[in-house]
Amino acid sequence: MRRRLIDILFASVVIGALLAAWELGVAYGYLKVYQFPPASRIAKGFVDLTTVGFPTGITVWSHTATTIGRILQGYAGALVLAIPLGFVIGSSRVLDKMTAPLIVFGRSIATLSLLPLAIVWFGTGELTKIVLIGYGCFWVMLSNVIAGVKYVDPVLLKAGRAYGASGIELARTVVLPAALPRIFAGARMALGVGFMVIVGAEMIGTVEGLGALIMEARTFYRSEITIVGMLIIGVLGFAISTGLMWLERALVPWGDPLAGVRR
Amino acid sequence: MRSSAQSNMGAAPRLAADQATAAQPAAPAIEIDRVTKTFADRAGSGITVLDDISLAIAQNAFVSLVGRSGCGKTTLLNILAGLEAPTSGAVRIAGRPVKGPGQGQGVVFQQHALFPWLTALENVKFGCRKRPISRAEKEDVARDLLALVGLQDAAAKYPREMSGGMQQRVAIARALALDPDILLMDEPFGALDELTRIELQDELLRIWQVRRKTVVFVTHSISEALVLSDRIVLLAPHPGRIARDVTVDPPRPRVRSDPRFATLYDEIWRGLSQ
Amino acid sequence: MKPGRTSDILLGLAGVAIVVAGWELLVRGGAVDPKLFPSPTMAFAEAAERLSAATVAQHTLWSLYRIVVGFLLGAVAGTVIGIAAGWYRGIGLVLRPIIELLRPIPPLAWIPLAIIWFGLGEPSKFFIIFLGAFFPVVTAAYVGITSVDPVLIRAAQTFGLRGPGLLLRVGLPAAAPDLLTGIRIGWGLAFGILVAAELIAADRGLGFMIMNERNTTGSVAVIVVGITLIGILNLITDWAIAAASQRYIGRWHGR
Repeated sequence: MRRRLIDILFASVVIGALLAAWELGVAYGYLKVYQFPPASRIAKGFVDLTTVGFPTGITVWSHTATTIGRILQGYAGALVLAIPLGFVIGSSRVLDKMTAPLIVFGRSIATLSLLPLAIVWFGTGELTKIVLIGYGCFWVMLSNVIAGVKYVDPVLLKAGRAYGASGIELARTVVLPAALPRIFAGARMALGVGFMVIVGAEMIGTVEGLGALIMEARTFYRSEITIVGMLIIGVLGFAISTGLMWLERALVPWGDPLAGVRR
Repeated sequence: MRSSAQSNMGAAPRLAADQATAAQPAAPAIEIDRVTKTFADRAGSGITVLDDISLAIAQNAFVSLVGRSGCGKTTLLNILAGLEAPTSGAVRIAGRPVKGPGQGQGVVFQQHALFPWLTALENVKFGCRKRPISRAEKEDVARDLLALVGLQDAAAKYPREMSGGMQQRVAIARALALDPDILLMDEPFGALDELTRIELQDELLRIWQVRRKTVVFVTHSISEALVLSDRIVLLAPHPGRIARDVTVDPPRPRVRSDPRFATLYDEIWRGLSQ
Repeated sequence: MKPGRTSDILLGLAGVAIVVAGWELLVRGGAVDPKLFPSPTMAFAEAAERLSAATVAQHTLWSLYRIVVGFLLGAVAGTVIGIAAGWYRGIGLVLRPIIELLRPIPPLAWIPLAIIWFGLGEPSKFFIIFLGAFFPVVTAAYVGITSVDPVLIRAAQTFGLRGPGLLLRVGLPAAAPDLLTGIRIGWGLAFGILVAAELIAADRGLGFMIMNERNTTGSVAVIVVGITLIGILNLITDWAIAAASQRYIGRWHGR
């Protein structure tokens, strides 16, 4: 207990000193404010963003809401498609082997490289962004669902059959619960991909959303607002993935939340 | 020396008689002098794991530490190895106080603790890396030791390609590569199946005869301790202390069915049950 | 009973063939407008007509150059920092909160700052790719070095090893499998990021090649071929890294 307290104290003193040095470095002109806005300026940027907004009128909350909305639509679409499809592919050896190279290839395609194609098809509006997020999440989700279904411990399947379960009942009572930990791992990884893609997607053709905010702020030399935007994206990503971890612990109390992350 | 590893059940420890007499002289190989070990627990107060342990172990003796879980036998072994420091008291090996590992203590752990990225031969060579001998000599030493444990043909195998028994043989060879005066063994055969275990016990006795080391052997198994040791030190838990010191006198080579073991077995069991 | 690898490969090929043939037939049959989504043969023919092999090769080399430089910087820095933070307590105490704070920020979100710090040239692209490789590698290195089996450390200590020797001879090899996994993830991420970085600010490279085609309302065929090319490059390099790391750790670590 005491050791831990000392650790935290030590870390905060060192990090505090670094922040102070940064602040002083700017004050004495060793660092340019524009390039390295110090903590105090970033804090002021945050206040500006919540009151005035940037660009004027669009506050940080509406940027955040826009971004979350886009991610959730793409993410939900990917989940709705990938989970049933993954179950079908994962439970058939032939289908699994037939689709394996396609899935590997689908995953290898850099999602954002689809941006030009998506613009040709869907224009520069909302749909393009949502489709890109959906694409990125879909493959990660799909390969995890397939793996989850495919690698259900055969002993569990045997046990299930021994107790008379088969068909849909076996799938519901044995395969689904056994595959859930991996499905959740996939859901968390997919969300990470979604965050990654949204930032890139929002850098083109919009002024709303956190990705647009950080890009736009740079062109107006408001680097502190860029940094605030980045931090919000980071916090958001962290918060949502922690939330999913809690959800997973509640729904899959028997699973190891880190399984599948370290492979 | 030419014995095959798999069928050495009868390998006779010829030196048994002089071993016993050699164990008599005054200068002990290991002196444990009023050693106490306390760990801080979460509440901040201490848990005493070892309480005022004193023990002298003679040159070339084979001593087993036997006790229930929590009696501090592994902690005591770690202190002898120099991996942990006692809270108070001192340990001397050949008269020199132990300040850390690598002072002539070879250690064999319960899990083989072989380096998975090194082959059997490389693992054994690792054991003699700090010895002041040439590269070529190290290679020779390592090959000789692998032959001693009957694994000359497995030199290029990685630990994961070996059975549990083979892994533990390599671990013994690696500890010997240090050319230690004393060999500390922490339940080395605990994870092996019964048959492999018997095989390795005989193997160990043979090596002990050939290499003449002082051995401190931690085990849960009374029969294992009886077959192997000159002397069995019983430890009692909470706090760890010496409950009893039993001399095992049936002459070597020993037969597992020797009726004298039965009497000793009962005596030790009673000693542990107090 | 155990199905052979050849049948697996044949099934895989069949799957690919069905998709490619289906796509081809849909377009040829008039169900899809070839201007919006050309069939594989059409796309390839049209792209070959519009772009010379030398141009494509040049863009490819530029992309590879950027990714290799950025990735190497990120992998080296990630390894050093992750290992140091995991091995030395004091360093870990200070660096971990900083890394944990920055890690959830997607590398692409650094693009504006990268431009502020390094301008629009190559260094800002190196920096973004560097970040893409850095975070997976630093995490893997940290996890790897902190989960070294303590009994291996103790065993090495009994042979008189300590300090940097212990780190180099025991810590690093024991962390290698985790580290290599991180390196592979880092490479994949770096690849995805590279294209994005090139979409936004570049005048050469594969990302630029496809975005430029869109901006000049050129041919969808070139975009499709470009996307495929990037995917294949990613796939091949990933296999190469997997094979190389398998060569190093495969025998002692297993799959």
